[in-house]
Amino acid sequence: MKHGRMRQGLHNPLYWVVGTLAVALLPQLPSMAPHLVAITLLPIAWRTLAELRGWKPLPTLLRLGITLATLVVLVGTYGNLLGRRAAVGLLSLMLALKLLETYRARDARVVASLSLFLCATQFLFSQGMLMVVYGATCMTGALAAFALIARREAFAVTARPAPTGRGLLGELSFGSRLMALAVPLGLALFLLFPRWGSPLWGVPERSLDARTGLSDSMTPGTIQALFMDDSPAFRADFRTGLPARRDLYWRGPVLWNFDGRQWQTDFYGRRIEADTLPDAAEAPYVYEVQLEPHERHWLFALDYPAIKPPQAQRLTVDYQLMTRRGITRLTVYEMASDPDFIDSPDLRQTFRQRALQLPEAFNPRTRELMAGWRAEANSDADLVRRALAHFNQENFRYTLNPPLLSRHSVDEFLFDTREGFCEHYASTFTIMMRMAGIPARVVTGYQGGWYNELGNYVLVRQSDAHAWSEVWLAGVGWTRIDPTAAVAPSRVERGAIDALGERRFLLDYEWLREVRNGFDWLNRAWNDWVIAFDAARQSSLLGFMGVERLSARTLVALLAGAMGVVALLLLPWLLRLGRHRERDPVVRLWHRFLQRLHRAGVPVTVSMGPLEVAGATAGHAGIDPDEVKRITGGYLNLRYASDVQGRDVLIRDLKRFRVGRPS
Amino acid sequence: MTTAPTTLGVTDSPANSDEARRARLAEAIGTVNGILLGKERQVQLAFSCLLARGHLLIEDLPGVGKTTLAHALATVLGADYQRIQFTSDLMPADILGVSIYRRDKEAFEFHPGPIFADVVLADEVNRATPKTQSALLEAMAEGQVTIEGSTHALPDPFFVIATQNPLDLVGTYPLPDSQLDRFLLSISLGFPDPEVERELLVSEDRSRVLARTAPVLSPRDVLDLQETCAQLHVSDALLAYVQALLAETRNSRWFDIGLSPRAGLALLRCARAHAFLEQRDFVAPEDIKAVFPGLARHRMTVSHGLEASVEDQVDGLLAQVALP
Repeated sequence: MKHGRMRQGLHNPLYWVVGTLAVALLPQLPSMAPHLVAITLLPIAWRTLAELRGWKPLPTLLRLGITLATLVVLVGTYGNLLGRRAAVGLLSLMLALKLLETYRARDARVVASLSLFLCATQFLFSQGMLMVVYGATCMTGALAAFALIARREAFAVTARPAPTGRGLLGELSFGSRLMALAVPLGLALFLLFPRWGSPLWGVPERSLDARTGLSDSMTPGTIQALFMDDSPAFRADFRTGLPARRDLYWRGPVLWNFDGRQWQTDFYGRRIEADTLPDAAEAPYVYEVQLEPHERHWLFALDYPAIKPPQAQRLTVDYQLMTRRGITRLTVYEMASDPDFIDSPDLRQTFRQRALQLPEAFNPRTRELMAGWRAEANSDADLVRRALAHFNQENFRYTLNPPLLSRHSVDEFLFDTREGFCEHYASTFTIMMRMAGIPARVVTGYQGGWYNELGNYVLVRQSDAHAWSEVWLAGVGWTRIDPTAAVAPSRVERGAIDALGERRFLLDYEWLREVRNGFDWLNRAWNDWVIAFDAARQSSLLGFMGVERLSARTLVALLAGAMGVVALLLLPWLLRLGRHRERDPVVRLWHRFLQRLHRAGVPVTVSMGPLEVAGATAGHAGIDPDEVKRITGGYLNLRYASDVQGRDVLIRDLKRFRVGRPS
Repeated sequence: MTTAPTTLGVTDSPANSDEARRARLAEAIGTVNGILLGKERQVQLAFSCLLARGHLLIEDLPGVGKTTLAHALATVLGADYQRIQFTSDLMPADILGVSIYRRDKEAFEFHPGPIFADVVLADEVNRATPKTQSALLEAMAEGQVTIEGSTHALPDPFFVIATQNPLDLVGTYPLPDSQLDRFLLSISLGFPDPEVERELLVSEDRSRVLARTAPVLSPRDVLDLQETCAQLHVSDALLAYVQALLAETRNSRWFDIGLSPRAGLALLRCARAHAFLEQRDFVAPEDIKAVFPGLARHRMTVSHGLEASVEDQVDGLLAQVALP
């Protein structure tokens, strides 16, 4: 491809290559550091400008220097190049830099192909429905680029400009048509390519961006950050009746240890298996949870989980459902819950100690207050009620923007600022209880959810994250107390967004949330049909036909069969692609006649007239010159002369014609 | 083909019959081929141009037989033949003629210029000034000459053969596109094949052969033949092909500007004549393809920025357009 030849507007493959790369980069950019984004976008901009202005390529040494410098910056940013993000970052950067030297068809092809690879790597991070659109867009662009490059190359030797095709829409429709051709094959591969029960290679546990979900620690602001995130956490499909919204407490990490600032899970709490479980058969709520990957170790369930799903490694003594590996893919499990179950009628000494532990020399004012209350209270339950009433009656506010707290955070919150989010209330309440000698702990998880009527399921978003307390009371065991509900009852009745009554971001409107929640039904269907299609579902693919289990070998055989069928079905269409169907049978037969000649090695083309065709066949073995003369003469007469006789004879002759048949 | 009475209403005498005319035409072509050796294609195109009532432009180097061809054509046509050597000081009156005052008659008398001939050879047409060129080209287009208010009809048939040297462009005035359009076909003769050249070297001088060549066709014959050619059948399929070709020439990947509708009409006219020479009573796609390069060559310029010649582009275009 000559330098000056590439400038021809939309028919310039370079723009398509650049466009494809840009689209392929899109989902990658938000998770990259800003300076890396800049380094990625600069070469793209330079190359586009160079094409528009006709700039010469940069000198080789300069390009080499830029590449090395970029590598240094990349390693400096990520520390190493081993993680998924770092590796994909490397790919993105190098691909963008490759544009600097993309002046020939070969390089353009490499960039377009690797853009497709980059597009494929994005599926490591997300498999949502939007990714299909994204993948299809990349693919269309790349296919159009490939077509343009190929066309240009084919015409490079003729010193003629390549045919321009049918403009933007033509190029796009060409790409989409090719993709449509691949759909049946893709479907067969998706359904039938043998899947393994576990991933082929270990995916590093913390390889995602560690941005989603609850963690094993809580500081002021932890849940607040989640509150801004509207991505789905999980969906629950109830087999039984739906609990009331205020009872939808989805249990997650249970936090025991407080160091004055931060709450953390407990070693024993995480390690010790629960000794009693509610009776699953008696549980009033049975449901299936479809948990989005969140890279942590928790499965979520309503209080109290009665089943230990196969994915969970442990159902702990504080009723956390913990997995061994971080959850990096969509996880579906059956769950049953019994809210009336009594957790730990007797509290073991170890746990009592842990549930009362507090750092010394913090929050003296609260300590004093609690000592007073303790003296006045008749029972633990009384004290709990008093504390809740205190939150309810005093001037406490539920807000997203609480003032910052310093060392004696509980004191400051309780006596001075009185503004906080659920984590402030849960934390403060728990500490107050501990000061009063009542065993207490913080539970984090999700509260509420959006009931989707279309799909009859409850959608829980990250923004539903919540923290509450549990206190141990003699006779009733661990009891859930939600101090936030005492401050802002609408938090549990209608959700945190309603309770706050303020917009979280610019486009945070009620109707928009409703629309999005409604659309989530599609996402769930996608999850259900595509993402959750795993080895187990695959092996029972033919269950409806009575085949219990498909072995890998059967799957491969089926796949081969399906591919064969698809190929057979598409072949005639493929062969006809780009040729319009001729109406007149004579002309159709004539084209077949030309094809037969062509296959026999006669250099005929569709641009040849009948006489030229006759001339071209002269001297070819296996072709009867008289027959050809009769056919071409007949065709010439029929198509171009004024008499219309001999049509039937010509049709017969054309049908009868074969190359190589001894006449 | 059956002998149909000509439209001119001439009685069907043996010498005037269609068949006899065809025989004479064949003989005329044979004679010209006997003079201009090894150029059958060009001779056929020249006759096509003549029968299609067009004018011929020959672009080639000096000495390859341009004049011989023109002279041979004029001779076999039995026509009045004039040769005008175009130079930069040639004036329109030198071509068209002048009116001179005659004292004895006390009136102006028109002295027709060399253009008043059946066959005119305009040699090196691009050497004359545009003014002179346009005088010739206007006469070609109108079939008449107007001098000082009086109109003088040019003879019919009227056949102009112009030549120009495509390489030696110093001191020339290239013909503008609008005037090139007046020429139906442009051909180039090219160097002869080695065998032909050998024959040329050993055989008698061409001018002497010309000198003893007798006319074969009469101008009347030419008119009749032109009439017959115009009647040839053109099928819908062929029209579709012509349209496809014209449309393709307008695609900017080949040429700057495509062929005009007028050029399309000329293409059909020329193809008809070519088909007639091929002894057909209908036009075949091959006729179109045979005359198309000659028709397109001087009318087109290659798209800007391409290093192809018009001939390459025409060949590519013909190979690209499928027969409908």
